[in-house]
This record gives sequence, C-alpha cells and structure tokens, in this order.
Amino acid sequence: MDVWNLLLQGFATAGTPVNLLWAFVGCALGTAVGVLPGIGPATAVAMLLPITTQVEATASMIFFAGIYYGAMYGGSTTSILLNTPGETATMVTAMEGNKMAKSGRAGAALATSAIGSFVAGTIATVLVTLFAPMLADFAVRLGPPEYFMLMVLAFTTVSAVLGQSTVRGLTALFIGLAMGLVGMDQITGQVRYTAGVPELLDGVEIVLVAVGLFAVAEAMHAVLFEGRVVETENRMSRVTMTLRDWKRSVPAWLRGTAIGAPFGCIPAGGTEIPTFLSYAVEKKLAKGDDLAEFGSTGAIEGVAGPEAANNATVTAAMIPLLTLGIPVSNTTAILLGAFQNYGIQPGPQLFTTSSALVWALIASLYIGNVMLLVLNLPMVGLWVKLLKVPKPQLYAGILIFATVGAYGMRQSAFDLYLLYAIGLLGLVMRRFNFPTAPVLVGMILGPLAEAQMRNAISIGEGSALIFVQRPLSLGLLVVVLLVLVVPRVLAARHRRAPLR
Amino acid sequence: MRPRGHASHSPALQSLLAAGVALLGLALAVGAYFIPSNAGYAGVGPNFLPWVVSLALLACGARLFFKARRGGFRNMEEHTGEHPFWAGFAWLSAGLLLNAALITTVGFIFSCALCFVLAARGLRLAEGQAAAGWATVARDSVVGLLIAAPVFWAFTQFLGISLPGLTQTGWL
Repeated sequence: MDVWNLLLQGFATAGTPVNLLWAFVGCALGTAVGVLPGIGPATAVAMLLPITTQVEATASMIFFAGIYYGAMYGGSTTSILLNTPGETATMVTAMEGNKMAKSGRAGAALATSAIGSFVAGTIATVLVTLFAPMLADFAVRLGPPEYFMLMVLAFTTVSAVLGQSTVRGLTALFIGLAMGLVGMDQITGQVRYTAGVPELLDGVEIVLVAVGLFAVAEAMHAVLFEGRVVETENRMSRVTMTLRDWKRSVPAWLRGTAIGAPFGCIPAGGTEIPTFLSYAVEKKLAKGDDLAEFGSTGAIEGVAGPEAANNATVTAAMIPLLTLGIPVSNTTAILLGAFQNYGIQPGPQLFTTSSALVWALIASLYIGNVMLLVLNLPMVGLWVKLLKVPKPQLYAGILIFATVGAYGMRQSAFDLYLLYAIGLLGLVMRRFNFPTAPVLVGMILGPLAEAQMRNAISIGEGSALIFVQRPLSLGLLVVVLLVLVVPRVLAARHRRAPLR
Repeated sequence: MRPRGHASHSPALQSLLAAGVALLGLALAVGAYFIPSNAGYAGVGPNFLPWVVSLALLACGARLFFKARRGGFRNMEEHTGEHPFWAGFAWLSAGLLLNAALITTVGFIFSCALCFVLAARGLRLAEGQAAAGWATVARDSVVGLLIAAPVFWAFTQFLGISLPGLTQTGWL
C-alpha cells in the first residue's frame, strides 16, 4: 500500500488529543531524565514498564518513544553545561560544548545541538518512513536460520566490538543470556534455573534488571565513590546563533546525519562510533580560525556534527527494532520488552499485523521532534534548573521510582530483594568496567535467539549444517567472523607498525 | 606499573572476580546437567543453551583470571574516588532492604519515604555534610512523603497499577 497513505493514517492516530498528550508528557519526561544526571532513557522507560499492563499499546509506545527521544535532547544540555561526562552518547558533545560554554558561548552550543538534533531526527525519521516498510518486505522472506545469525551478529557487535574489552563484553553477554534462561522454556515449557522459587517461573523481569543495573547501581556508586566529586556548572548565555554559526552548523548537521543514520540501520548499535567519527570528520574539514577553535575556545562544528550523528543513529535504530525485532542498545532492548508485554513481537510481520500501531509510532516521531525543538530551545532555561537538584535528594528520589517499577510489575516484595542483588551486580560491573548493554540485550534477545536456533535446526532435520547451507545465513556467519577478526588484525598491525 | 591504584585495579580483587564468573559458570553447568534434553525433532533441547552459557562463562572466567594474573585487566577507565565510603553504603542498603521488608505491611508511601530518608542520609554523609541532625531528617521525611504520596496516587488512581497501601482506601 502507499506509504504516504499509511503515514497519514498514522498522523490521524497519533494526532488525537490523548495521544498528543502522551507524546508531550513523554518528550518532557525524556528531556528531564536526559538532563538529570544518574538517570537515563533506559532506566526511565524501564521504571514505567508497569503501565503496559493498563495503558493501551499505541499510547504507551508513543510515550516511550518520546522518552527515548527526549533524553537525547536533554543529555546534550547537561554535557554542555556541567563539567562531568554524562552518558557515552553525549561524551563527544561535551568535548567542544564544554569549551564553548567556558568561553561564554553556552547558548550557541545549546542552540546548535537542539536544532541539529531536530534536523537529524527529522531526516532520519523520513528514512525510517521510506526504508522500514521496504526492509520489512524483504525480511518476511528470512527464515529461522537467517534470524538466528542476525541475532548472533547483534550479540557479537554489542559485546565484542563496542567497549574496551572483548572478554568483559562477552562475560556480560553470557550473564545476560543466563538471566534470560531463568523460567519456563518457550518451546517445551521445561522449567530452568528457578531453584524452586515460584516467583522465578515467569523469568526475571526486564524492569528489575534494567532498574537494578542502572538506577540502583548508580545510587550505590554515588554513595560509595562520588561523595567528594565537586561539580561545576558553566554560565548560561542567550540561546541564539549568529549568521556565522549557522553557516558552520548546517553542513555539520547534514554530515553528522549522513554518518549517523547508516550506523543506526545496521544491527551494530551504539552511538559511540558515529559520534566520534563525526567529530573526527569535522575536525579534519575545519580550516584556519575554525580549526584553531577546536580544543581551545570550542568549535561549533564539534557540537553540531556529533549531536546530529547521535540523533540520526538513535532514530534510525528504530528500523532494525521494528522490522527485525533486533535491539542493539539498552533503550531499544527495553522498548522491545515493552512490545512483548503486549504480546506483540516486532519483526517483519509487524507492518501488516500491527500496521496502525507502527504508523502511529512513526508519525509520533515527527511530532515528537517538533515538540522537543520547542521544549529545548525557548524553554531550555527551565531544564537547566533541574541541574540544581542536590544529589542526595536526587538519588534517593530515583530509588522511590525504582520501587514503583520493580514492585508495580508483579506486586511482589521478593522482586525488591532481587532488585538490590542486581544493583550489587551492577555496582561490581561498573567498578570493573564491564559494559551493561550486553546484559540487557542478551537477556531480552537470548530467549528469541534460542527459539530461532532450535527452529532452524528442526528445519535442518537435526543438523546444524543448515546455517551454512543457506546462502544468506552463510553470508551473515561470514560477517560475524569478520567483525570478530578484522579489528584484531588491524590492532595487531597497528602495534607492529611503529616498530619499523 | 601501578603499585597502589584503585581497588578495581588490584590483581587480587580481579582474580576473585574472575573466580566468581567461573563459579557462576560451574553452578549453571550443574543446573544444566539436571535439565532433561527431550530434543524431539529439533535435535537440540532445552538443555542446549544452558550448556553453552555455562561453558562460555567458565571460559570467560578462566580468561579473566589469566588477565588478572598477567598485569590486570587492560583498558580500564580511570575511576573517581579512591576510598569507598562504606558507612553511606550501609545507610543506602538499609533503606532499600527495609523498603523490601516493610512495603507490604506499612504500605508504599511510608516504606518509600523511609527508604528516601535513609538513602538521603547515606548520600549526605558521603558528601561530608557533618549534619544529618534531626532537622535534616525531618526535612527529608517531608520531602520523601511529598514525592512518594503523589507517585502512589498517580500510579494507583490514574494508571491503575496496584501498589500496596496501609489502608484499603487507595489514598494511604
């Protein structure tokens, strides 16, 4: 069917007053959690997962998408104004943004990041509109072997490629897979690893793991190690851009979008690579006075490019999530969990079975971007005030919301003890530099991957050779191996080179 | 290279952590042994992935142990804070665990407010605020109640999520 017709229907659904309100509340809440240190979009969406038991699917997905998006806008505000590195996605923004703020150009940095996010978000949403249905049409033809290989690819990239250490990434991934094993097996109903605890029959709730690993672990880390860390805040200035700022920002936004969008489309997740890449490109292209500003007084391209790349990646990540059902970041993994709570399995069939929901969600991305531009340009001063919330009250308050999320899902006090235990796990992982995204992706995608693998082997009549007999699945297997081998070879050559 | 660094860089602690990972793998392997295989047509049954995961964790544990013994984990981030502040951690833990213990008896609002007060006290002590006298405790209690109560109402009354109350009224 005609994409534009479907999109218009989506706008009709997303444009009802109730859904607009959900989108607005989501965007506002998202901006707030983006601005507040110690809580991110993954935690916020996870804490609110219990609403999936009551609120209708379209409304809550629009709401969650708003949080997901809004946090990206809000995060840059914090990284520009506060001299502490926030979430990884905005680390690059902080490099130049901080320098700009220190030299009295906080306003211009905020403006270029908000407008850049809007430009990139909108362009990437257009890409989602155009390509998601096409990819879905193609993906319908994929069978269990191909799906399984795609999931293995997602596991590999999220654990072995991103992050500082392959072993630590893989350890995190297998811990996540182990968590996913708890409960009843999807295919045979066999009970696994419940240790006789009835609460564990349904498995470990996503809310618990996400909130425990992020919110509770964060509070524990803060009380143990961050008490004496002094934060300084940069002075705000008027949020405007000069003509010269515009001239330098516009190409940077477009280049950032071009770099970011492809990274979102492939199941290789993470915004670190595209943002760093965009930063490097901008620095390389800069000349004369502009180049001198990099690292000294702060170059506006260094904020504009990475911010655009960040938002383009995050938006384009909706494509693999919606069409393949493969999440590659913490937040998209939790969004997948939200779909599952409704008994909806994202994948190629989603565009036919839940067409109204998908198109309303896509339409709400356009609407959300406009809302966020308004929320983050004229009203940025409001959010800046959130940075003044003292830490003890902030973290203690987050724990109250953590309780709502953890208890509200199943009404069980047992879950609150489990939450504490997962918080301890998160604390240890954070202290020893284990990445957390593989845990969540492993836990949520693990059971799906297991089912695909067993179905695939059934198709192969009990033989695992099925994975190399089908061309596409073999191709994906080769990609997985390349992803594992190539960085090592490059690193080895890099190490040898200086010796010559 | 770094004789006295952060605790997370200590080879002994890293080895302990590696042993923990391996032990988890071992425990999962014991569990996997007791899962029946009834593979049916699939050729692989419900015990297949458990075996993969436990063997992988054993391997990861061994590799981590090896790395810890050979000069420690590589590419570790520089951490903030050298000395963990255990007293504050104890207050925070007390808040969380009491919350779990009391929530069904005293209700969401009071249980969460208590958690707020205890956690905030731990965090204040961590910041070196000598304070945390009765005035601060009283103020934190009020703030905690002011957060917990509206949250309780919003979730139970508007979103229909059931949270435990002290009474059956739905407002307390």
